[in-house]
Amino acid sequence: MSSTTAERGPRGTAHLSLAGRRRVRAVAGLVIGVGGFLLVWTLLSEFVVGEFLLPPPLEIGQVMWKIVRSGAFIHHFVPTILRLGYGFALALLIGFPVGYLMGTSRWWRAFFHDIVMVAGSIPGITYAVMALVVLGISILGPVISVGLVSMPYVAINVAEGLDSVDRRLVQMSDAFERRRPSVVRHVLIPSVAPFAFAGVRLSFALAWKVEQLTEVFGSSSGVGFQIRSEFEDFSIPGMLAWVLLFIAFMILVERFLLARLERYLFRWRPEEKR
Amino acid sequence: MSRALVTPSASEGPLASIGRFLRSDLFARLASYLFLLAVWQLVALYEDRFPGPAEVFGFLWIEVTGGRHGGVVRGEFLGPFAATLPRFSLGVAISMVLGVMTGVAIGGSKLAEALLKDTLLVLVALPAIIWAFLTQMWLGLGDDAVVITTFLSAFPFVAVNVIQGIQAIPRDLRRMSGAYHVSRYRRLRHMQIPAVTGYLFAGFRFAVIIGWNAVLLGEWFSASDGVGWRSRYWYDANRYKGFVGWVILFIGFIVLLDRLVLVRLQRRAFRWRDAQLSETERQAEEIDVGTTGA
Repeated sequence: MSSTTAERGPRGTAHLSLAGRRRVRAVAGLVIGVGGFLLVWTLLSEFVVGEFLLPPPLEIGQVMWKIVRSGAFIHHFVPTILRLGYGFALALLIGFPVGYLMGTSRWWRAFFHDIVMVAGSIPGITYAVMALVVLGISILGPVISVGLVSMPYVAINVAEGLDSVDRRLVQMSDAFERRRPSVVRHVLIPSVAPFAFAGVRLSFALAWKVEQLTEVFGSSSGVGFQIRSEFEDFSIPGMLAWVLLFIAFMILVERFLLARLERYLFRWRPEEKR
Repeated sequence: MSRALVTPSASEGPLASIGRFLRSDLFARLASYLFLLAVWQLVALYEDRFPGPAEVFGFLWIEVTGGRHGGVVRGEFLGPFAATLPRFSLGVAISMVLGVMTGVAIGGSKLAEALLKDTLLVLVALPAIIWAFLTQMWLGLGDDAVVITTFLSAFPFVAVNVIQGIQAIPRDLRRMSGAYHVSRYRRLRHMQIPAVTGYLFAGFRFAVIIGWNAVLLGEWFSASDGVGWRSRYWYDANRYKGFVGWVILFIGFIVLLDRLVLVRLQRRAFRWRDAQLSETERQAEEIDVGTTGA
């Protein structure tokens, strides 16, 4: 006991300075990375493609600023993000039972095998235009597309999570004659939930791209719709400003929000550290 | 005596074998196809605009055999594929060459990595539709726009995979082969090439899947022949059975290519790494096109 507290002191301070150093390094890396991005962009626009075809960063920056200040940013980002959220909820809702069946029964695994396999290689344009044909211009289109795109990832991860459930816990529950529903609720779901979430995170990048595409084809609001209207106005700066704003936002969400949430859900399994 | 023990189960005969068939993997797969067909049929009943399976397969029959659709338009099947495949292959080939070059440059130098990694991240995140729109505005309609859309969408993924491959050579192995004076040839043959080929194949697979989506989008917006154009043609004509038929064709194409060729190549190339993976983990690995460009 005393030895652990004695160790904790110096190690704690070492950690702090290490974390501090790491933070400095991360900031420096970010600055260099963003600098590199702007440099490549400027070079391309000055010397290779031409300013008319690829406007320099400053010009796009001004357009971005205008979008943010005029409120159009909020106006179109909110519906897009909400649709993504509903889509992921749908994916979890379907993916959980599917994954459960796949993880527990050989027959159902064979049943869903081809569906899950094929889902990853379906071109995104399929979802976009199919949604338009079946649903017309509707907010349901992007939601269902996101749900269908992410569902297989959730299902396969839930199945993988079930593989990793601690067998001894299940045996112990049997030994103490716990009922099936109670085992599912207290043993299976807590150990599988983080895997389901990892499925969402894995499919995140694919899902928002498909959502954009669906909005480009059949929506009357959202970022994808804005990209389409800028395209129809032949406005390269407008299009780039919208897409880069969105990408920046999504990278931030993925890096900070999702990664943290996942770490939080996996916190009871230190060895997992995904 | 032993015969008497065996016969009762054999005498159940047809019933038992039917039961075994119903429980088999083969039947499960067949059932999943029937299930999909049933869902499709239900959607078609619910929404009149959406064609059912019978209509679509009727359409595909005419399109593939080259008959006439209602006496006017001739069915075309090989033509669109013949127009698309050269664009597709050229785009994927360019993306492989440039992706490997970029990947080697970034993977080999710390400075290049610091400077260019975020740029690559943004390129990976750019949806293919942006390239389809931009190339159309830059170059107008035509082959160039489609090929460049394909190549620009696919090449960042190749580069990312090559970088991973270069960085994946375990440092211990490198040190050990240094300590034991392993010859340069054996190092290349047994350490560097196996480490990078797996990732290179994975990159190739991404390039093919992403490139296929991009070539379709490119053709949808800027071509006047090809698979993407043909599906748009039917879509614009309000003949959704034609559109759905072509969706089946272009999904079928990429799925067959992926399952029959690419996945096998990838499994083979990664066999040194994935030998102990369970079937589920392997499946997870294979659908992990998580960063794909739609």
